[in-house]
Amino acid sequence: MLRPQKFIRTHFDLCTGCSLCKTACSMHMFGGYNPNRSMIRIRHLWENLAHIPIVCEHCKNPMCLKVCPTKAISRHEKTGAVIIDQEKCVACGLCQKYCPLEMIYVNPETHKAFKCDLCQGDPECVQACPFNALELLNQE
Amino acid sequence: MPDTSYMGQMLHIDLTRAKFADIKIPSWLMKIYMGGKGIGAKLLLDLVPENAHPLGPENILMFLTGPLTSTPAPAMRACVVTKSPLTNSFLDSYFGGYFGPEIKYAGYDGLIFTGCSPDPVYLYIDHKGPSLKSAENVWGQGAMESNQSIKARLKTNDVRIASIGPAGENKVPFALICCETNRQAGRGGAGAVMGSKNLKAIAINGNSLVQIFDKKMFKNAVSAANKEIKASLECQGLMAAGTAGSVEFANEAGLIPVRNFSDGTSSLAAKLGDKGQSQKLWLSRSACFGCPIACSQMGAVRTGKHASFVTDIVEYETAAMLGTNLQIGDPRSVAYLNRLCDELGIDTISTGACISFAFEAAEKGLLPELPNHELKFGNVQAAARLIELIAYQQDELGKLLSLGVKKASERLGPGAENMAIHVKGMEMPAWGPRGTPGMGLAYMTADRGACHQRGFPVAYEATGMEWKGKPVKALELEGKAELVYSLQNYLAGTDCLVKCDFGSMGITPETYALLFNAATGQNIEASYFDQLGERIWNTTRAFNLREGMDTADEILPRRFIEEPLPSGPYKGHRITEKDMKYLLRDYYRTRGWDSEGKPTEEILNKTGVELNRKFSLES
Repeated sequence: MLRPQKFIRTHFDLCTGCSLCKTACSMHMFGGYNPNRSMIRIRHLWENLAHIPIVCEHCKNPMCLKVCPTKAISRHEKTGAVIIDQEKCVACGLCQKYCPLEMIYVNPETHKAFKCDLCQGDPECVQACPFNALELLNQE
Repeated sequence: MPDTSYMGQMLHIDLTRAKFADIKIPSWLMKIYMGGKGIGAKLLLDLVPENAHPLGPENILMFLTGPLTSTPAPAMRACVVTKSPLTNSFLDSYFGGYFGPEIKYAGYDGLIFTGCSPDPVYLYIDHKGPSLKSAENVWGQGAMESNQSIKARLKTNDVRIASIGPAGENKVPFALICCETNRQAGRGGAGAVMGSKNLKAIAINGNSLVQIFDKKMFKNAVSAANKEIKASLECQGLMAAGTAGSVEFANEAGLIPVRNFSDGTSSLAAKLGDKGQSQKLWLSRSACFGCPIACSQMGAVRTGKHASFVTDIVEYETAAMLGTNLQIGDPRSVAYLNRLCDELGIDTISTGACISFAFEAAEKGLLPELPNHELKFGNVQAAARLIELIAYQQDELGKLLSLGVKKASERLGPGAENMAIHVKGMEMPAWGPRGTPGMGLAYMTADRGACHQRGFPVAYEATGMEWKGKPVKALELEGKAELVYSLQNYLAGTDCLVKCDFGSMGITPETYALLFNAATGQNIEASYFDQLGERIWNTTRAFNLREGMDTADEILPRRFIEEPLPSGPYKGHRITEKDMKYLLRDYYRTRGWDSEGKPTEEILNKTGVELNRKFSLES
């Protein structure tokens, strides 16, 4: 399995915690602003002395993909992102359980899993960050 | 209703009966007052009974957002509005951070607290709705300490909290509200009002989405605003050094407070400014929600006798009021005093003024000695001890100083008045006005007492920046009333969005209007903020006069009238009685107020202040 062609590299030393990435994500995913409903997390450490953004790494070895019993999780042909097919997801919760970065989210009503899809290769969060703390890298 | 960035309702929390109600804000009210300061001014006028005691159950405490709070429109904030226990008049206090946006994510444009809880409580709001929880176990804790304890009790870090410290519990009239993270609704004693209601904290986690009327237009407006911020020299300065960059500027201009405002320049400025702080403290940057400026320079005091603790940037106001003003020059010591104030929950500006008042009064033999501490300028430990005494209202001295300098000087009697640096009971912030009479007028007329954020003519007077095509001359009196009037109106208008002053150094009125229109589907012109602001100034004026404000109190502290400035470019200058009379007369005339400073019926009608159309929580 290949690393995705594109992935987001985080730079915690540049992150200010402003959460613009999270609001952009919530707009992309749900059509409105609320950083609590983002696919990105930020750990605010030591009374805000450090902010550590956490994003889905679209792993080379994605445990979420391996544990999915219905093959609902796959790699996107073009972007290489690890994505979830909502039709195939049976809401078993295994992918969420086996993501060590806690990057899989569950719809509170349907219990189906969803996650970062790299915005089809042009992530809104990267565009929204004024501090260059998120960087879109190409594998090549 | 189409999708807009308003949530369309406020939460009314009746603390006496532990009852909640979702309150629809009538469209006429939203249309006339927009949000933030405007809505706060009107609700305070309509909901607080005449002559209500600021610390009694009849006073109300509001946390208000604006139509752009919680969106990616850059540099937005929220505010607290209540009747001030420090000035007995209108109080609005603004805070950045993460608490304001969370109010909207919980589905509300604002929170309105009425009554008084019989026991200490905190308000918790999550997706299941609001509830009041016992605060018995957090009562007595520091403002930041209680933030951590409440998170531990709720077993989550995903809540955003506003809390008070012991000073708020003890109802010190300049107690603050600490809004996550380390952003304070600092001035005027909103923390005391919260304490008087037995409300220790508010903890919120919301899952509502904030909608935008026209997403494409909004995205373009946000880009335009960000470009303006990037291009602004003032904003670039704030990105590099926050407000610490103002320390050396104010010193060079002779405006920085030194030894209780007895002078305007200090050799300590270089140590306390951005160069000193970056050496001794700073390690990383931090931003309020959605802000590309990130004026916070985070750091740590890692050496010296106060080591070690994490500290936010020592803001200009604090660096001056607890630094040069107290003759303390080590930024680590000032960070330590700053931290004490933040944790105990008192405003660093008023506290700095109270301590410098005490130091000067002690030097002149007007105060009894403090055991184990010599009350004199430069004594960090004495300053720290006074902060504790004030916050806990301990000993005669703590009780006296915790009244604020106005009342403390009245108690001390003759000789103390010249040392009390305040307007209408609010201690003066760190811009001594003797060389900038426009700033003096702004202090005299600000709707919450001596405040630099209701109009900041210094930016023009001390720099010679142009106003309406003409460079402003610092010492001139002519034209200052018009300048103050215009700045006050525009700031109040944009405080309805709710903007941060730092963003507004770059973002133009046209872009603010564009952001607002795109988010809400309305159609205002850039000039609307001036009109809205004028309406608000007449509304807060009506409130303050109703509550007994005496316009004879619109004067500067005696020190600035009688004692010429000893150093700096404006050496030898003071603002005389005659100057003040000229400025005030011109200002009242510009506002269309009578010679006593009262709005006429004509001006109330003209500016759209409807005293008879009242909002009620029952309707």
